[in-house]
Amino acid sequence: MADLILRSITKKFGNTTVISKLDLSVKSGEFVTLLGPSGCGKTTLLRMIAGLETIEEGELIIGGKKYNNIPSQKRRIAMVFQSYALFPHMSVMQNIIFGLKINKVKAEVIQQKLAWVIPLLRLDGLEKRLPREISGGQRQRVALARALVLDPDVLLLDEPLSNLDTALRETAVEELKRIHRHVGKTIIYVTHNQVEAMTMSERIALINNGHIEQYDKPKVIYDNPKTVFSAEFIGSPPINLVNGEICVQKHYSGVKTEIGFLKLDRERTGKIAEMDGKKVLVGIRPQSIYYIEHLAQRRHTDTHIFLTVELVENLGDRSLVVGRCGDGPIVRFIMTREEDILPERKMTVFVDGRRIHLFDPVTRLNIFRENDTI
Amino acid sequence: MIFSFFGKLSEWIKRAWPLIPATLYLSGFQIVVFVYLGTLSLSDQARNIDFPSIQPIVELFSDKYFRQALLNTFLFTLVGTPLELLSGLFLALLLYQSFFLRGFIRSIFLIPLAIPALVTAMLLYILFDYPGGHINHLLIGNYPPLPAILDQPINWRGSAFFAMGISLLGKVWRDMPISMLILLAGLNSIDPELFDAAKTMGASLRKRIFSIMLPLIIPAISTVLLLRTVEMWKEFIFPYILAGRYRLLGTLIDFYYYDVGNSHKAAAVAMIMVLCILVSTFLILRTMDLLQKAAFKR
Amino acid sequence: MAVLMVIVPVYLLVKYSISDIGSINTGGAAIPLWPENPTLRSYAYLFTDHNFYQVILNSVIVAFSTVLLSMIIGVPAAYFLGRYRIPGRRMVLLGIISVRLFPDIVSVIPITEFFIHTGLHQTFTGVILSHTLLALPYVIFIGIGAFESIPVDLEQQAWVLGASRYQTFLKILMPLAIPGLAAAAIYTFLLSWDEFIFAYYIVFGRQELFTMTLYLNGIKHAAPQNLLAAISVCLSVPVVLFSFLVQRYMIAGISTGSVK
Repeated sequence: MADLILRSITKKFGNTTVISKLDLSVKSGEFVTLLGPSGCGKTTLLRMIAGLETIEEGELIIGGKKYNNIPSQKRRIAMVFQSYALFPHMSVMQNIIFGLKINKVKAEVIQQKLAWVIPLLRLDGLEKRLPREISGGQRQRVALARALVLDPDVLLLDEPLSNLDTALRETAVEELKRIHRHVGKTIIYVTHNQVEAMTMSERIALINNGHIEQYDKPKVIYDNPKTVFSAEFIGSPPINLVNGEICVQKHYSGVKTEIGFLKLDRERTGKIAEMDGKKVLVGIRPQSIYYIEHLAQRRHTDTHIFLTVELVENLGDRSLVVGRCGDGPIVRFIMTREEDILPERKMTVFVDGRRIHLFDPVTRLNIFRENDTI
Repeated sequence: MIFSFFGKLSEWIKRAWPLIPATLYLSGFQIVVFVYLGTLSLSDQARNIDFPSIQPIVELFSDKYFRQALLNTFLFTLVGTPLELLSGLFLALLLYQSFFLRGFIRSIFLIPLAIPALVTAMLLYILFDYPGGHINHLLIGNYPPLPAILDQPINWRGSAFFAMGISLLGKVWRDMPISMLILLAGLNSIDPELFDAAKTMGASLRKRIFSIMLPLIIPAISTVLLLRTVEMWKEFIFPYILAGRYRLLGTLIDFYYYDVGNSHKAAAVAMIMVLCILVSTFLILRTMDLLQKAAFKR
Repeated sequence: MAVLMVIVPVYLLVKYSISDIGSINTGGAAIPLWPENPTLRSYAYLFTDHNFYQVILNSVIVAFSTVLLSMIIGVPAAYFLGRYRIPGRRMVLLGIISVRLFPDIVSVIPITEFFIHTGLHQTFTGVILSHTLLALPYVIFIGIGAFESIPVDLEQQAWVLGASRYQTFLKILMPLAIPGLAAAAIYTFLLSWDEFIFAYYIVFGRQELFTMTLYLNGIKHAAPQNLLAAISVCLSVPVVLFSFLVQRYMIAGISTGSVK
């Protein structure tokens, strides 16, 4: 169990710079996810930590020790691969103890570790089976067991759930969380699936094009996205984005947008006092727009907008309504399914002023967090 | 009953007529081969031994030429097959590791296969000439600054050891690419992430090769061993050109047929050769099977 | 990678030795990487030698006829096996391949005897027939591959549009199968061109029928090295050339079959 620090890491493949001056620090025992779209560099980062890719510039420090030039074999890390990479010619048990035998661990200790890890990952009875004789979910657990017995300082997981079907995935997610609580190791998890990241991680590093957009607890990223990318990537259904202009007035300030005038909550009104006329990109999550029958029930910080329903998607217990404001942009919002909404219906919905995010269209940064560092 | 048989047959012929010429041609010749081989090897007109009789074959074993040839071919196979496997493996590993110009390098590696066997044999014939071939000149030190290793040129084709040696050299060199291709296919079928995983678990290069790579290419290795062993047993061209006086089974057949003029003896040797091939095939398949089972640790 | 450098020179050295068209045999001075006086004299000699021309002609005739015969017999068989699933298909394929499992030197004795009895000994026909025997399995297998890769839909579409079996075959199937069949044809040509054992046994004794391989063998004791080398080069050139081109087909065939 150890701290992990990445300092000013740069990686080039040929003439393309994949990662540029990236900094990241993970606390001992923390569960951190590297989240981002395909090709953003997250797997490359993981492989650099594992020692499977070279670190050209920058430093990797684990447990106070500089790891740059230490070969993969000698690093105290263990990795679970997306394809599990189980040795097809070895049984489950042989796969699990492979690393232990290399390190010349004593037979009794091996037995102890087996006795611990097999029940932990519910692999009882499968010890003598070959990888091709067990299911996908079981293979994934074997891969995990194989990594855990090595007692690494850092555990690396490269999209381990992407080959499982959805039902299995949820069970696996729970299991991973349970194991993390039990074992308490530093875990670095790579995925492009935001739901996995949000449910499992203590902190998420959102990566885009080789640099970190935001590095925070999941809740913080959701409630307070630092960049447009963060706002767009996290949250389902996708966030609404409209253009607007800050409008500072005597009684209430807000943003003039293509869908109407949106009031801002009192707390932040003070912060935009100097920004009258500034152009902004406004982000509103579908969950922050609501419909109520009676106007009186609204919050006084909320503003209403008018729209015409274009289509309705049934999400099970809720509906996703897609509406258009006049001739302008479309807006998505969520409704409980108490009544059926039909297209062409004109509706008035309310926007929660506390949950409007304002971004500078050029820097793409949240204007209330411009001075933050990661 | 017979009518229905013919009825069915003509049905078949009508439908499958494109296949008929080929089938007839191939099976026709096969029958010829079997019949003649059988009758020739099991009789000997010159000595009034009528068919069928095992005598000609049994007599072979008391023939010193035959025993020598059998031994020679056995040794040839014994030494040659592993050599081919290793050289093929070496080339395959080189190709597997190379990142750039891979296609080009592979084309180069395939050249020995492209050159007709006869030409390769002729080439060695020229190179290893006595007393004046290139190799001899090199060894004697006629090309300064390279040092002289010997003071007498070697009569390559004049001694059993060297003659077989250069035949082996030619054969292995020529057939290396085949082993390489088969082994390369085997290597490529291994998921590269397996090596990554082994690395992260602390496996050294040696360990990765012996515990991961080799067990997983056992099927390819057994294919190579099988094919190459058969090839070694039936080799004719190289020994014919380069080891004229020191017979292998293949050249022995030629010897009996032309130099001695006894087609029966030749056929008998041919039968023995087929037998040797069958036996080796069986043995190799068995061994590789056992090896495969052993490699799958449970 | 440095090891690679060891292999390549070996090949290159071989190549150089072949182009040994100068006077190296008389013990040239330096390390023999290039002949002292490279001349094309050997080649010139060859190309003015009447015998040599005859020999080349022989090889060409034999190879060409082999291609013709094997294609005539083999292509229909390949078409049939490539398009229709008959019961026992596997056995048939196995049987075809088993022809090649017999060592050349083993089959050549009975076949030569047979030819002697049927009067085909010392004739071109005999050689052509035996070469066809060797080539047929390959033609069929490559042909099956070529035909199998054409979707059945195309044929059926032609039938729907009113074409007869023959028309479909000629106008639709053949053009699409041509690349694969061309590979088979080239392979057959080269097989016959390089073939030594069968030619040697069947034509034995009649010098005027010698193919290139036999010619080379016949004069190996007598002729000077550079001449031998030159002949070897002539023998190899078509092969090496086409090998480079046809490489893809051959590799695919070997690799797919061998690994489980």
